[in-house]
Amino acid sequence: MTTLVRLEILRTLRNKRYLMFTVLYPALLYVFFISAYGNGGTVANGVAAKSYFMVSMATFGAVGAVLTGSAQRISLERKSGWTRQLRLTALPGRAYTLGKIAACAVTTLPAIVVVFAIGAVEGVDLTAVQWLGLAAALWLGSFVFAALGVALGYAAEPDAVQPVVMIVYMLMALFGGTWFPVSDSLRTYARFNPVYDYNQLASFVHGEGVAALPIVALAAFLVLFTAAAAALYRKDARRA
Amino acid sequence: MATGTGEVAAFRNVSKSYGRVKAVNGLDLVLRPGETVALLGPNGAGKSSSLDLLLGLREPDSGTVELFGGTPRAAITAGRVGAMLQSGGLMSDVKVREIVELACRVHPRGHGVDRVLATAGITELADRRVDKLSGGQEQRVRFALAVAGANDLIVLDEPTTGMDVSVRRQFWDAMRAQADAGRTVLFATHYLEEADSVADRVLVLHRGRLIADGSSAEIKARAGARRIGFELHPADGAPAGPDFDEAVLRALPGTVGLDVSTRADGVRTVRIRSADADAGVAALYAAGYHPRGLEVTSLGLEQAFLTITGEQDRTESRTESEEEYVR
Repeated sequence: MTTLVRLEILRTLRNKRYLMFTVLYPALLYVFFISAYGNGGTVANGVAAKSYFMVSMATFGAVGAVLTGSAQRISLERKSGWTRQLRLTALPGRAYTLGKIAACAVTTLPAIVVVFAIGAVEGVDLTAVQWLGLAAALWLGSFVFAALGVALGYAAEPDAVQPVVMIVYMLMALFGGTWFPVSDSLRTYARFNPVYDYNQLASFVHGEGVAALPIVALAAFLVLFTAAAAALYRKDARRA
Repeated sequence: MATGTGEVAAFRNVSKSYGRVKAVNGLDLVLRPGETVALLGPNGAGKSSSLDLLLGLREPDSGTVELFGGTPRAAITAGRVGAMLQSGGLMSDVKVREIVELACRVHPRGHGVDRVLATAGITELADRRVDKLSGGQEQRVRFALAVAGANDLIVLDEPTTGMDVSVRRQFWDAMRAQADAGRTVLFATHYLEEADSVADRVLVLHRGRLIADGSSAEIKARAGARRIGFELHPADGAPAGPDFDEAVLRALPGTVGLDVSTRADGVRTVRIRSADADAGVAALYAAGYHPRGLEVTSLGLEQAFLTITGEQDRTESRTESEEEYVR
């Protein structure tokens, strides 16, 4: 199984287009936001713009990396018959999915680290513990979206999967505080949006302490998406 | 190659439908160790569906499929089966060596990569990217995946599609080497000459049913392996003129099919499909005929195949119209 996981990681890192989209694109957006808000700019609740968007662009990159990395590839490889070919090997069925998730997890790290590096250069001031804690929280949180990506990959056909992923991704980002903070009136509903909860993981660096609710919500989403992915996988296996 | 006892694979009264289409209909079949078996059938005959069932990629609606006395999945996990599917996609963004290495590593009885690359004749492609290969090259990579370990059964679905003639010959040489090593080989193909020259057993599948099972010589014999053609001129005597009786020709030994056409000048052109041309021709002369322009030609497996599936179609349409009539 490790051979497959290693090969999945290797081929993902080889795909330059994918790396551009998942690493470079959020980094450029972040630079754009910093210049748009100015060096001393703040968003709602007085949080510094450069610190707010550092988190939201890191999550934006991470979610993009895992969603496209898993959903698109799984869908394409179901169509091409590679998943059938793998079922004719002694590998257990879960190995394929685990390989995809591992490859995603490896690519979310650079997406997070590059944005953080820009933030540090631009003067986001955190303690070493905060930096590490934030990176770990965002990295772990990305697994929720990897599960969602796997589910979408088994649900949608290749010609549909790209628009489906894009719509899901953009709607979650739009109402999840990625481009602007969620207004008070929408906040009640926002907690049912995993991207909002994901962004909230960072609240402890804004001096608000560790938020328990988003962690619980993300854990619930993880269970939900994993169950959906498992059910869709089994359905796909029956249809071969 | 020795054919041992025991069962490599067994279909017992297996049926599978997709919606209203019966893809596989009451299939009963046993493969024995060491056999090289060709699976023939027109498009949509149920070849790929049967192979899917054999490999456990799909579950039968009724009946059972066994590989080496257990479930298909158990045989695969034990590393006893290698397969090359028609629709077996390959990983993108990896090199040929990497994907073959993956297959070797995950195989419980895997061979070394270099050996497998050599077996499949793709050593020189080892560093090429999989997504940059031609169709025939991709087929050889798929073949490498099917022979990555010490399998007892190798299943190939239309393996030579997209290969040019010389590559196809190399491929069958590699395949024969596998069979000579005592492996059971089952392959589906469109190319009947491949079945004729490679297989020691031929299965003909039509509309989900097994309609013929035997050596290629037996299949040809069943279809009437030779064609006897001649002309009968009225000037040559009574049997060819006023006393002409088709029933006499039909009664010739070995006759499987008869076709007679008469020209305006009374000359009849006769074509007989025969399972025993020698006896047929001898009896023809004994019955007092003087055939002109006598020709005896051999039918290929292709002709035999068309004949058998055609007969089946006629039988089925007759049964259907009788059923109509009864209603």
